[in-house]
Amino acid sequence: MTTDIQDARKKLQQAMNIAPAISCGIEELLGRSANGMTFVAGRKLGKQMTASAKKTTDVEEALAETRRVLEEHHCLWHFEPFIPSTQKEMVKQTEKGAEIMLVFRDCMIRQSLFRYGHHQKGSLCFMMYGFFSGALENIMGKKTELQIVHTGENACLKKLIIGS
Amino acid sequence: MVEILIKKEACRGCQICAEICPTDVLEYNAAEQKVFVKNAADCIACLSCTYICPSSAISQQDFHNVKNFYRDLEFSVKAKRYL
Repeated sequence: MTTDIQDARKKLQQAMNIAPAISCGIEELLGRSANGMTFVAGRKLGKQMTASAKKTTDVEEALAETRRVLEEHHCLWHFEPFIPSTQKEMVKQTEKGAEIMLVFRDCMIRQSLFRYGHHQKGSLCFMMYGFFSGALENIMGKKTELQIVHTGENACLKKLIIGS
Repeated sequence: MVEILIKKEACRGCQICAEICPTDVLEYNAAEQKVFVKNAADCIACLSCTYICPSSAISQQDFHNVKNFYRDLEFSVKAKRYL
């Protein structure tokens, strides 16, 4: 049993090397344009995965639906809203639209980057930005952005902006 | 809520932790030349302050520790850490 788990872990770790290796390669070749490329790839994936998702205009419901879709596809992307102590409501209305801070804890991208030894906030993180943009655009019918505020060893902080 | 512990004797007052914190949890006390926890409620447990502290003065308790699949299991067993 232990050997099975160890073998599965080794296979997973080998697979985890592939995405950051590609990411590292395209960053070297394309520079900052690599972010745009992975963003588009992530957006397409987000749209594909949420093709049959429940449509809603409520932010909290949309986030719950995104979470459900991720779980359905066995994706390790644990995120939760973060309300700073200076703010009363989860959603902050600004000129750009509705802003929500999200904390990403268990993240398959971070795991892969650490395994391969590649920096965070690069093109793979932009793929996640694209994924959320595509998924929430499908669910809410609005343009969304996921800005990377901070990337940490145990959690990352991102700002989700849903266009008005 | 995350509990942040700062060893006062170990803190050199370099303020790197306060600078890296995305939610301004830590602040520098110029009189004491040490960093202190200003607002623990805003800590997201990213652990950036813990990892960056040159004197290992910061530690956290009661937080969600992410599943670290990237670590080499054989190494972890040998090191008796990260299991």
